[in-house]
Amino acid sequence: MSQKPSGSATKTVASPRSSPGLIQQEFVASGNAAAAIASRSALVDELVIEAYQSCLAATFPHGIAVLAVGGFGRSELFPHSDVDVLLLVDKEIQGDSRREALSAFLRTLWDQGLRVSQSVRTVGECCQLDSTNVELSMSLLDERFLAGDRALYEVLKQKLPRFLQSQRHPLIKHLCDMTRSRHAKFHGTIFHLEPNIKETPGGMRDLHLVHWLSILRGVEDESLQPLSAAREFLSSLRCKLHYKVGRDNNLLSFGVQEEMAPDPAVWMREYYRHARAIHQTAVRHMDLAEGLMEGSLVKQFRDWRSRLSNSDFTVTRERVYFRTPQNLVVDPELVLRLFEFVARHGVRPALDTERRMSEHLSRLAAHFAISRPLWPAIRRILAQPHAALAVRTMHESGVLLALFPEWQGIESLVVRDFYHRYTVDEHTIVTIEAIEDLRTSKDPARRRFADLLGEIDDLPLVYTALLFHDTGKSEGMKDHATMSARLAEAVLARVQMPDEEARKVQFLIANHLAISVVMNARDLSDPATARELSTKVFTHENLKWLTILTYADVSAVNPEAMTPWRLEQLWRTYVVTHHELTRELDTDRIAPAQGEAAGLDFVAGFPTRYLLTHSAADVDRHVELSELSKVAGVAVDVVRLQGTYQVTVVTTDRPKLFAALAGALSSFGMNIVKAEAFANNKGTVLDTFTFADPMRTLELNPMEIDRLKLTLQRVALGKEDVKKLLKGRSRPVQRLLQMQPSVSFDSEASQSSTLVEIVAQDRPGLLYDLASTLSEASCNIDVVLIDTEAQKALDVFYVTADGAKLTADCQASLREALLNVCCN
Amino acid sequence: MKKIEAIIQPFKLEEVKEALKSIGIDGMTITEVRGHGRQKGHKEVYRGQEYNVDLLPKVKIEMVIPVSREEEVIRTLSAAARTGNIGDGKIFTYDVAEAIRIRNEDRGESAL
Repeated sequence: MSQKPSGSATKTVASPRSSPGLIQQEFVASGNAAAAIASRSALVDELVIEAYQSCLAATFPHGIAVLAVGGFGRSELFPHSDVDVLLLVDKEIQGDSRREALSAFLRTLWDQGLRVSQSVRTVGECCQLDSTNVELSMSLLDERFLAGDRALYEVLKQKLPRFLQSQRHPLIKHLCDMTRSRHAKFHGTIFHLEPNIKETPGGMRDLHLVHWLSILRGVEDESLQPLSAAREFLSSLRCKLHYKVGRDNNLLSFGVQEEMAPDPAVWMREYYRHARAIHQTAVRHMDLAEGLMEGSLVKQFRDWRSRLSNSDFTVTRERVYFRTPQNLVVDPELVLRLFEFVARHGVRPALDTERRMSEHLSRLAAHFAISRPLWPAIRRILAQPHAALAVRTMHESGVLLALFPEWQGIESLVVRDFYHRYTVDEHTIVTIEAIEDLRTSKDPARRRFADLLGEIDDLPLVYTALLFHDTGKSEGMKDHATMSARLAEAVLARVQMPDEEARKVQFLIANHLAISVVMNARDLSDPATARELSTKVFTHENLKWLTILTYADVSAVNPEAMTPWRLEQLWRTYVVTHHELTRELDTDRIAPAQGEAAGLDFVAGFPTRYLLTHSAADVDRHVELSELSKVAGVAVDVVRLQGTYQVTVVTTDRPKLFAALAGALSSFGMNIVKAEAFANNKGTVLDTFTFADPMRTLELNPMEIDRLKLTLQRVALGKEDVKKLLKGRSRPVQRLLQMQPSVSFDSEASQSSTLVEIVAQDRPGLLYDLASTLSEASCNIDVVLIDTEAQKALDVFYVTADGAKLTADCQASLREALLNVCCN
Repeated sequence: MKKIEAIIQPFKLEEVKEALKSIGIDGMTITEVRGHGRQKGHKEVYRGQEYNVDLLPKVKIEMVIPVSREEEVIRTLSAAARTGNIGDGKIFTYDVAEAIRIRNEDRGESAL
C-alpha cells in the first residue's frame, strides 16, 4: 500500500502541505482562530482523503462514501477536537478483506494522531430516528462529502432533508431536553469562576444549539451573525486552551485566566459578557422552537396560565408581556410591579419585555436614583414564593443595577480562590435560591433548618440582607461585611425603609460571618464560645436569622459546599447559642451598681440582655412608666406597631399577676404573640406583651384602647377578677392538633430557678392558661419569654416554688397539668 | 517512612497546621469527617426534644514523613490539638512501604 493509488482525489494538493505545528505557529503569530480552525479542517480533509485512497478505494470501488460530520462537517476542527467521520455504505460490510480494509483506514488516521470517532451506516439507517442515538441524526445536520461513492452520497442527499423535516419535532425536543439538562448540571448560570467553555451555559455547545435549531426551523443562523463577536472570542480562547494543554481541554482554569490578561478579573468580565449573549440567544431559540411544536395539552396549560393576565401584564406562552409598554415612560415603577408579578407566579418576563426595559434603563436609573418610598414595592417582590426568580430576571434585564447601582461593583466579580464557584453577583442570587429550596427540602438534616426558616416572620428583610451582604467585596476583601453594611445603609435610606427594619438588615449584613467563624474555628463544647456569640447576636430572633443567612451563604459558595459535616457544625452552633441565650436570661442580671451607674435604679436586677435588646428610647420610656407607677401603683402604655400592638405594664409584683394580665388581654379577644416579664431588685415588674388584634377591635373602636388600659390597670391592682372577664368569651372552635406539645424542665440552666420550656400549637388564651397553671401550682414566675412563630408557641418560664428550684415530684405533676392545657 | 493519621477537633485545625509548619512539615491531606470514638456522641435537648448527636464533625489529617521525624511530629501534633477534654481525637501511625512521585518517579524519602 506504499504506492499511491490512481483513483481520482476530490482535492489536489498544490501548496506545500500544512502541518499542525505550522498552524499553531500561524495562530500564535496572527491570533486568527477562524483561520486556524479552517486550516486544521483542510489538513484533516486531506489526511482522510489520502487514507481513503490508500486503504479503501481499491477494496470498495463503489458502495462506500466518506463523510465529515459534526464539528468536522462544519469545517470547525479545533486543535485537539475529535474527528467525526461517517462511513456511508450501501449494505452491511461483510467479508474479511473488506473489514480489514476498513480497520486499516481507521488505523492510518489514528497513527497520524487524529482522534477519530467513526460510525458506519447505510442511507436507510441515516434516515431513521434512533432514540438511543439521536446524536447521529444531529451530526448529520453538518454532513459534508469527502471521498468515495458520490452516487451513494447523492441518494442520502435526496432523502435526508425529507427525513429531517418529518422528524424535526422529536429532534427539536431532544435537543432542547438535552440542553436544559446540560444547563441544569451547571445550575443554569454562566457565572462560573472556572467555566468549561464548551459545556457551561453560554459556551460553545450553546452556539451549536442555535446553529442546529436554525437549520431545523429553516431560519437564518444567528450563531453566525449577531453572535460573531462572541463566537470569535470563544474560538480563539478554545484554540489557546487546546494548544496550552495539548489535548481537548475546555476548562478555563484560574491558571489559564492568569495567562490571558494582566488583570484576569477584568478579562473574565469580557468572557461573561459574550457568554451572556450566547446564553440568551440559545434560550430564546429554544423558546421559539418549542413554541413551534407544542401539543394541545401544553396549549391548554398555557391558556390557563394566560388567565393570570391583569391590567398591567399579559401572560402568553409562559412569558410575561407589558400590556402597554409605553407606560414605562410615565410610570417607571411599572417594572417593580412586573417583577412582583414574576415573583408571585414564577413566570419569566418575555424577551420582548426585557428589551423594552433595556431601552428605558437610563430613565429607570435616573428615577430610582432619587430617594423615594420604594420599599413597600420591593418588599412585595421579596415576599412572593418565587422571589429568587424575580431577582435573577431583574439582574439579567439590567433593572437590578438601575435600582441598586451599588451592585455595579460585584457584577461578574470574580473571587479568586478554589472554594468559590460563582461570581459574587451570581453567588448572591444563589443564596436566595438556597433559601427557597430549603423550604421544600426533604433531607432530614436540612429539615430542622427549614423549621427555623418557617419561624422567620419577615423573610423580605433576610433577602434584602442577602442582596447586599457581599456588595462590599468590590472594595477589596478585607472586612467586606462592614463595607457591605455601609453600602446597604445608603440603599435602604434611598428606598425609605423604616429605620427599625433598616437597622435590622444592616445588623444582619455586618454580622453575616459571625456564625461561620464560630462553626469553623471555635470549640463548640466550650461554654465561652456560645457566650461570645450570644454577645454578638443578642436575641433568639437574631440568632435564627443569622443561622438561616449562614446556611444560605455557605450553600451558595458551590453546589457541594454545604456538606453534612457543615450542616452539623452549623446546627450545633445554633443550638449551643440558643441554650446560652435562654440560660443568660435568668443567670446574668444587671448588678445594682451597674444600674445605678447608668442612672437607672429601675433596671437593676433585670437580665443583662434587657440592655442589649432594648434601645435607649425604650429604656427611657420604661423608666418614665416606673415613675408614673410610683404614684398610681401601676402604669400602662399601649403603642401601635406594624400590624400589632404592644402593651407595657409596670407595677409591683404579686402572685398570679402575669397570668392575670395575659387573661385580661385574651378577654378582649387579643392574640398574644410575644411577651417578656422581668422583675427588678425592688419587686417592681416590667411586663411587655405584643399582641395581634384579629377582630380589628382596637382599630375600629379607638375608644376600646382606653378601656383596655383601664382594665389592665384594675387587673394589675387586683381590683378585677380575670375569671369573670373571661367568662363572657366563648372558647374558640377546636382545631385539630397539628403538633405534639412538649414540656421540658431544666434545673441546671439557672442558679436559682427551674427553666420550663413549652412548645405547643398556639391558640387564643393559651398563655393565660399556662401561666395560671403555673401560678396555681404555687410557682412564682421570675422571667418570661414568649414567642409565637407560625402557629407555634414557644414559651420559656423561669419559675421557683417557695424561693427554690422545683422538686422532681412538682415537675412531674406540673408537666401533666401543662400538657393538659396545651391539648385543650 | 511513616504515615501519620490524626483525627482532631475541627477548630484545632489551624493551630495544628501552624505547629507542623513551624517544624517544617508542609505536605498533608485534610478531610472533613464525621464519626465517634468511645464517647459515642451525646444527646442534646432542643425545645424539649432530645436528639442524638452520634456522629460528631472532626477533621482528619494525613501525612507521610521520614521515620526519624515520627516522634517529633507526634509530639507537636498532639500538643497543638490538645484541649484536655473528651473528643480531642487520636493519632495513628503506619509503616509505609514505598513513596513514588508520579511526576518523575522519584522514590523513597526524596519523593515526600
